Amino acid sequence: MPIGSKLSGGLRALFHRREAEQEMDEELREFLQSSAERKMQAGMSAAEARRAARVEMGSVESVKEEIRAAGWEGVVEALWTDVRYSVRVLAKAPLFTSMVMLTLALGIGANTAIFSLMNSLLLKALPVEKPEELVEISGSAPIGNSGDDYGLTNPLWEQIRDRQDVFSGAFAWGSEQFDLARGGMTQNADGLWVSGDFFRTLGLHPAAGRLLSTADDRRGCAALAVLSYGFWESHYGAAGSAIGSAISLDGHPFEVIGVAPSGFYGMTVGRKFDIAVPLCTTEVFDGPKSRLDKRHFWWLHVAGRVKEGIGMARLKSRLAVLSPAVYASAVPGDWIPAMQDNFRKRVMAPDPLTTGLSDLRKDYEEPLRVLMAVVGLVLLIACANIASLMMARAAARGKEMAMRRALGASRLRLMRQLIAECLLLSFAGAALGLLLARWGDTLLLTYLSGVHRQVFLDFTLDARVLLFTAGAATITGLLFGISPALGGTTVSLSDTVKKNHDAAGGPRTRLRLWIVASQVALSLVLLVTAGLLLRSFRNLATTDIGFDPEHVLLVNVNLFTARTPPSQYTATYDRIGAQLRTLPGVVSAARSMLTPLGDSQWNTSIHSDVPHPIVNGDNLVYFNFIDRYYFATLRTPLLAGRDFDSSDSARSQPVAVINQTLAREFFPGVNPVGHTFRPEGGARKLDPPIQVIGVTSDAKYESMREEPVPTVFRPLTQTPLPDPADSFEIRIALPQRVMGKAVENAVAAVNREIPIEIHTLTAQMDESMARERVLAALSAFFGGLALLLATIGVYGTLSYLVAQRRIEFGVRMALGATSRSILMLVMRNVAILLIGGIVTGIGLSLATSQLLSALLFGIGARDAGAIAISGALIAAASLAAGLLAGRRATRVDPMAALRQE
Amino acid sequence: MIVQGTLDMLILKTLALEPLHGYGIAQRIEQVSQGVFSVNAGSLFPAFRRLEREGRIKAVWKPTENNRRAKYYALTASGRKQLQSEAEEWSRQSAAIARIMEAC
Repeated sequence: MPIGSKLSGGLRALFHRREAEQEMDEELREFLQSSAERKMQAGMSAAEARRAARVEMGSVESVKEEIRAAGWEGVVEALWTDVRYSVRVLAKAPLFTSMVMLTLALGIGANTAIFSLMNSLLLKALPVEKPEELVEISGSAPIGNSGDDYGLTNPLWEQIRDRQDVFSGAFAWGSEQFDLARGGMTQNADGLWVSGDFFRTLGLHPAAGRLLSTADDRRGCAALAVLSYGFWESHYGAAGSAIGSAISLDGHPFEVIGVAPSGFYGMTVGRKFDIAVPLCTTEVFDGPKSRLDKRHFWWLHVAGRVKEGIGMARLKSRLAVLSPAVYASAVPGDWIPAMQDNFRKRVMAPDPLTTGLSDLRKDYEEPLRVLMAVVGLVLLIACANIASLMMARAAARGKEMAMRRALGASRLRLMRQLIAECLLLSFAGAALGLLLARWGDTLLLTYLSGVHRQVFLDFTLDARVLLFTAGAATITGLLFGISPALGGTTVSLSDTVKKNHDAAGGPRTRLRLWIVASQVALSLVLLVTAGLLLRSFRNLATTDIGFDPEHVLLVNVNLFTARTPPSQYTATYDRIGAQLRTLPGVVSAARSMLTPLGDSQWNTSIHSDVPHPIVNGDNLVYFNFIDRYYFATLRTPLLAGRDFDSSDSARSQPVAVINQTLAREFFPGVNPVGHTFRPEGGARKLDPPIQVIGVTSDAKYESMREEPVPTVFRPLTQTPLPDPADSFEIRIALPQRVMGKAVENAVAAVNREIPIEIHTLTAQMDESMARERVLAALSAFFGGLALLLATIGVYGTLSYLVAQRRIEFGVRMALGATSRSILMLVMRNVAILLIGGIVTGIGLSLATSQLLSALLFGIGARDAGAIAISGALIAAASLAAGLLAGRRATRVDPMAALRQE
Repeated sequence: MIVQGTLDMLILKTLALEPLHGYGIAQRIEQVSQGVFSVNAGSLFPAFRRLEREGRIKAVWKPTENNRRAKYYALTASGRKQLQSEAEEWSRQSAAIARIMEAC
């Protein structure tokens, strides 16, 4: 009953407001009248009695206010009134309102953008049924490597599928790039190999047609494909006619049978899939000797949905029990016995798969945390500026506040109203910020993507991001609202009438100086961070890479997809090379198995004929196979010996060119030219000796960040097995867009079926530095923003200070002070807050910059240069702002100032 | 002045005899307490609003002895129950306090 009557009474008061108010008025009037009558009976005159009754009751408005406050509807109503009043107040100061909202939109937007990236990459659960029940099986990687990157073989997957009894469904998947074009320029699509039970176990339902099932995943199966929703939309306009149509994958026709639900982008966060095909269709691509039976082809991830009631501990122990049988049935036969034994001893381990997999997490978790801290600080600095503005406004509104208190508003009521104003501002700013964040995130993704990696993240707004933004808005609003609300409402009518000034050393002024000093300190921290990341990026970008990346096109071809027989590979490559060299604008053209900075590697241990300490524990060196034009095309200087030439053939002495690092580590103290080394072949047997014929300077092999790695270059003419997907490096003298078409035609002239992919070596380089570039750009942007905000803060506070001390300055000038000495008075304040701010800032930087050390390249986390430059920058900006404000102090007209008093 | 937390009980007790309007309640409390307790409108009316919402009292508009309209408050069944339990609790506590004050 009480709840019912509370609710109905409150609702009545809300919706029949006028009636309820009238009733209240009438009741109070009756009370006053009765009270007055009573007093008259006691002998007072009518006028006296009325007056006494009124005095006894006090302000009728505040009684009413208290009555309203007794029911819950009072809160709602008061809030609504506050909001409406705030809107009116803010609309009257459009410049102030829009400035504050813009600052907040930037600050909260930046925070939302970074948080939403973190959310998408690290926190969001996969959009499948009960993702918390999914676990991945790992622990099966080749010895010495941790599980995630390598996956399992198909024989292992089949063993797990057939033997497991802990999952209600188990499934496997792998990823692949498919070429949609039939020859010529490659049109890549992100492919997904999936086992038959993939979609059912994930609990996904088709958006159109049907999804793959276990019946579709059998040896000798039909070539069926399921499209992702996004691909269906972009390539088919979401037309139903897509179902049943044919799609060409690497030149093989597949039948489209259905479309996956929208919002499902695959199992890897940071990527998306376009087309899913059953595992068994690898036979279509690979032929009968497909990877399905290869016991050393690690291409699959395996996961399952845990049966109800099986805890992690039981799952773990059960998988351990199943492991020996699973591994024993899938031992790679060509491994040496010791490795086979190790393989049999492996144990399957479950890892939660709730948030999916991601290769981006390792690289970006740390930078995202740093960025989150950076944008948090920026918001804090912006908050301080707005608080300062609000305090000035509160001071200017002293009269309004005094009037409202005199009319019976309680202090709490006024504070609530001021805070409502601030919250309204911060929420409006946050709403704008959400839009900004969406735009910023999309922009960020394009900067993180490169030629090899298209980063895709799902930025659909979810409760977590909205909650974060609302939380940020609330905290921000309270932060900049609390102090003016406290300060602005402690007015008394008499003080305001007397126009009492806040003395220069008063607590409010001191608070403002403190706020500005902390702004200076925080901006310094951000500037140092920006300085470190910028210099780190510069170091990376200007590091000696050992070749000249400008004006080099990289052309990848794929002879396997073109169905060229392996015996014809070399001849075909030679014909393409010859065609390319005839093109006008081609300075030189080379061919290699791997391209520099291509994000792939081939390594083997070697044994040199010179005694040397073991390198990196296992004498591992990195290989590439190249032709005799390679060094000349990339302009990698030869330091000793000779380059490859036409005399190096399959029948001549096996030769190699090595880099400086390898020469130093494996041939210490001798001229390596003429010496030999032997690579470890299969089953740890040594291959025949290879003679060193030349030494080149060091060059980057796989990534811009790596230290020089020992590298062996071998002639392509001596490869044991020609590769179907070699690359050409072409140094060009004409612009890339002109050359691209010519190169495409030259390859087509040899064979139209050959798929090709063209990009520049500089693009490949940029991709290798994407993380550093984005970090440097963002930290520089936010560092600059922080500097700007702090400068505005210094200027604003000093202007306020000068205005406060107008009369004092006037008196001083009347007594003969020069404008110079007045300026010095102001600048003394600047100096104090600068010294305080900078010293604190340096302390904070030294304490926190260690967090950056993992992200820095070629620069220490405690860099005196970065600190000195940042300190100088902020000192210069603050002094300039101080001078600007101080000049106004010198322009005070003594007479005018004195008359004002 | 009123002992903290007892205003609701005093209002309920006052209404136990007969329905009264706001001023009548204030008047009655002051008279019966022989001027020890005087209740001002600022605490009385919010208490009415609260008790009404809790369903302890209900209000009706009725003509007064002077033939004006006034809002009369009357006890509900739940208010009566509430009064009983509060009165019991109060006499228990005041007896205890009295014992302590006499003992020392």
